[in-house]
Amino acid sequence: MRLNKTFLFLFLIPLLSFSAHKYYLSLTQVTFKPASKTVQVIINVFMDDIETALNSDYKIDLQLTTKKELKDNDIYFKEYLKEKLHFKIDNIAKNFTYVGKEYDADLVYFYLEIENVNEFKTIEITNNILIKHFPQQQNLTKCKVGEKHKSILLTKKENSTTFKYE
Amino acid sequence: MNNHSPQNNTFMKKIGIVLFSLVFVASSFAQAKQGHTNQNKFRQLKQELPTPNAERTASGAPGKNYTQQRVDYIMDIVLDDEKSTITGSETITYHNNSADDLEYLWLQLDQNMRAADSKTPDIQPNKVPSKLSKSRFKNTYTESAFDGGFKIMSVTNADGSKLSHTINQTMMRINLPKPLASGNTFKFKMDWWYNINNHKIEGLRSGYELFEENGNKNYVIAQFYPRMCVYDNVEGWQNEQFWGRSEFALEFGDYTVNITTPDDHMLGATGILKNESEVLTKKEQKRLAIARITFDNPVIIRTQEEAKKIEKGNSKKTKTWKFFAKNVRDYAFATSRKFIWDGMAVDINGKTVMAYSLYSKEANPLYGDHSTRAVAQTLKTYSKYTFDYPYHKAISVDGQMGMEYPQICFNPGRPDADGTYSDKVKYRMIKVTIHEVGHNFFPMIVNSDERQWTWMDEGLNSYMEMLAELEYDKNFPITRGYPKNIVSYMSGNQDKIAPIMTKGDNVYNFGSNAYGKPATALWILRETIMGKDLFDHAFRTYSQRWMFKHPSPADFFRTMEDASGIDLDWFWRGWFYTTDVSDIGIKSVKKYQTNSVDNSVEFIEDTSEGLGFSKKDENSKFYYEITYNKPGGLVMPIIVEFTYKDGTTERKTYPAQIWRYNDAEITKVFSSSKEIKSIKLDPDLETADVDTSNNSFPKDKTDQFDQFKKKIKG
Repeated sequence: MRLNKTFLFLFLIPLLSFSAHKYYLSLTQVTFKPASKTVQVIINVFMDDIETALNSDYKIDLQLTTKKELKDNDIYFKEYLKEKLHFKIDNIAKNFTYVGKEYDADLVYFYLEIENVNEFKTIEITNNILIKHFPQQQNLTKCKVGEKHKSILLTKKENSTTFKYE
Repeated sequence: MNNHSPQNNTFMKKIGIVLFSLVFVASSFAQAKQGHTNQNKFRQLKQELPTPNAERTASGAPGKNYTQQRVDYIMDIVLDDEKSTITGSETITYHNNSADDLEYLWLQLDQNMRAADSKTPDIQPNKVPSKLSKSRFKNTYTESAFDGGFKIMSVTNADGSKLSHTINQTMMRINLPKPLASGNTFKFKMDWWYNINNHKIEGLRSGYELFEENGNKNYVIAQFYPRMCVYDNVEGWQNEQFWGRSEFALEFGDYTVNITTPDDHMLGATGILKNESEVLTKKEQKRLAIARITFDNPVIIRTQEEAKKIEKGNSKKTKTWKFFAKNVRDYAFATSRKFIWDGMAVDINGKTVMAYSLYSKEANPLYGDHSTRAVAQTLKTYSKYTFDYPYHKAISVDGQMGMEYPQICFNPGRPDADGTYSDKVKYRMIKVTIHEVGHNFFPMIVNSDERQWTWMDEGLNSYMEMLAELEYDKNFPITRGYPKNIVSYMSGNQDKIAPIMTKGDNVYNFGSNAYGKPATALWILRETIMGKDLFDHAFRTYSQRWMFKHPSPADFFRTMEDASGIDLDWFWRGWFYTTDVSDIGIKSVKKYQTNSVDNSVEFIEDTSEGLGFSKKDENSKFYYEITYNKPGGLVMPIIVEFTYKDGTTERKTYPAQIWRYNDAEITKVFSSSKEIKSIKLDPDLETADVDTSNNSFPKDKTDQFDQFKKKIKG
């Protein structure tokens, strides 16, 4: 499509009769593992959406799951996630390691890990995944510390939250 | 509330007293054992369903007094390629088969949704976007918005005298000179024209695509004529406005249609082409004759080379295509200078049906490779599970949308400029083609009311689509319909989820609500709850009872139960009338062995941790008392897999009715002669369980993250 894709999606999809997945949701699951002193993060996003976003941001053509799939594409995913996703644990910014990704049907799963994490009281999560390209995007963000589950739906308007475990 | 401040204290005290009194009152009521209405999840569905009558029976079949209106159309249509307009002259013969006398008739003016004064844009909340295409900007923010509404030139009686009528947005009332008595017919005429939209810019279902290369347009034309509304004993007149999303409710009838196009166009349309020799070349007629007896591969009737040559021209002469379509609920066509045409014969139970595709060179070789084959597959699979396809053909058009009409549909997907295409593009094109061709069965023949219930055609069709896809390619990448695919939607924010039984215009997440979730529900019924044989028989019964008729949701629910002998009230209630989720877990396990004493058998609990026994009595079997809890609101069967110490497994499925006395948790004993190592619920992800972290005992400690790490370490 030659037109602004975002805008087209916004206005056309609700009216079309066929079958696109079209709801804009990702899931980010954050889990604290005291035994390994790590915070592990699993993110799933719709493949076509993340592809649209990265192709546009980095002027690439990912062609995921095809024979023409762009090689060494993890560098782009890594860069994208570093830009869109931020963590502060007890008010200190933390970097994460990009462990890898896998595909499942129309989803892509990303695995990230923050190392050397001790018991903490607060974790601040900023989640801007796909929001630039899909203004309706909702990023369901869940956090589990011990048996305590918390979750929030982050959006363009509210892209950050602090979970308290005191 | 943690932030007590001194000035808040008095207030808080007051609140405290109120709260206390409320609790006190509530608890004294509890002591009085306040009654309640039946909240059991297995209670009958009767309160939700209309009372059966002689038109629609309690078995879900049409009754002896069932009637249906009928509408015949005779139309002369002219396409002006230069101005991009459609002009039509239409004679409607309306047959009042109902028992009622009608004071007026209602027609649908769908094109008025695109009129300059359409209220459709007014009910879409919006924000200032960061960027807009110029054409879209012009259309949205300047005075000269595109006007695609009907220009009605005349409405007359059969004798040419004026016929009184009133237009209400997308609906038009014919004010009959005298009531139309039951059993009588009324004939009237209309003349009209409208501007065709560029669907790449204005969007929506039908319009034209402009090719910059040589100014050619591919037209895919539908809802292009004033169409009679449905009148029945469920809705009265189905004359709810067309807002753009919830589709159509239409009557069956015969269509005699003449379409005039530039004489270098290739056209496909609903109905039998009556003047092949006037509109096709000798060569094309010869190839068509071969296609009609070729069952293994598509035969090309107009080649890409021929189409490329033709599209360079721009004939000012015209020709008229003459069609007759028997017993269809609607009419559509596609026409262009650019179209390549291929076709293949399909054997449906001894009857030959034609599968055709019309596509521009930009869509080739993708369409040449897969389009007609996908059409053929759809006709075969759907015929197997419903009824033999009753029409003579089905066409897929490279229309670059996804929209369905009787015998013809418009589909997306094009290869890259170099002619290659990815699996993703290929499978998406096949998927949508199967879906849209499948709509020939639901709702073009099993003619449900789309304005009210999107799921009745989209949901049933999305389920059938899965079966056809798997028969086209057993490794077809299905992304919608399996229970696991719907989990992220069903477990989402409840504020943005509506029950399936919601009017199409008002659902959030249209695709998941009206396509994905009902398709999954049917998949679960077939695979997990009813079994293939009972489900297939009931689904076929529904399809055959209601082919060429107007089923309502109750007719579907009742037939599925009536034909299978399975009470599914609880399933329809949970999956279709609520937004409840499925989540069953294992809460605890107690384990026992037996000891025979005199005339009785004692059960002795082993209180050690885990599933293992601290000491074993070789004379006793192993007894496990398992407590299952259900955090999810849906009642579903409990599917349990027991893994024995020797590595072998055994499955046990407890029907959903196990929850009928206690919706929160139940306890059930399982005995075996071998010791159990682990227990897992729903091992094949059949129930759309939204939280699988409580599905294992002992708790499975390796999570998804650990498994992934293990996997990449190889």
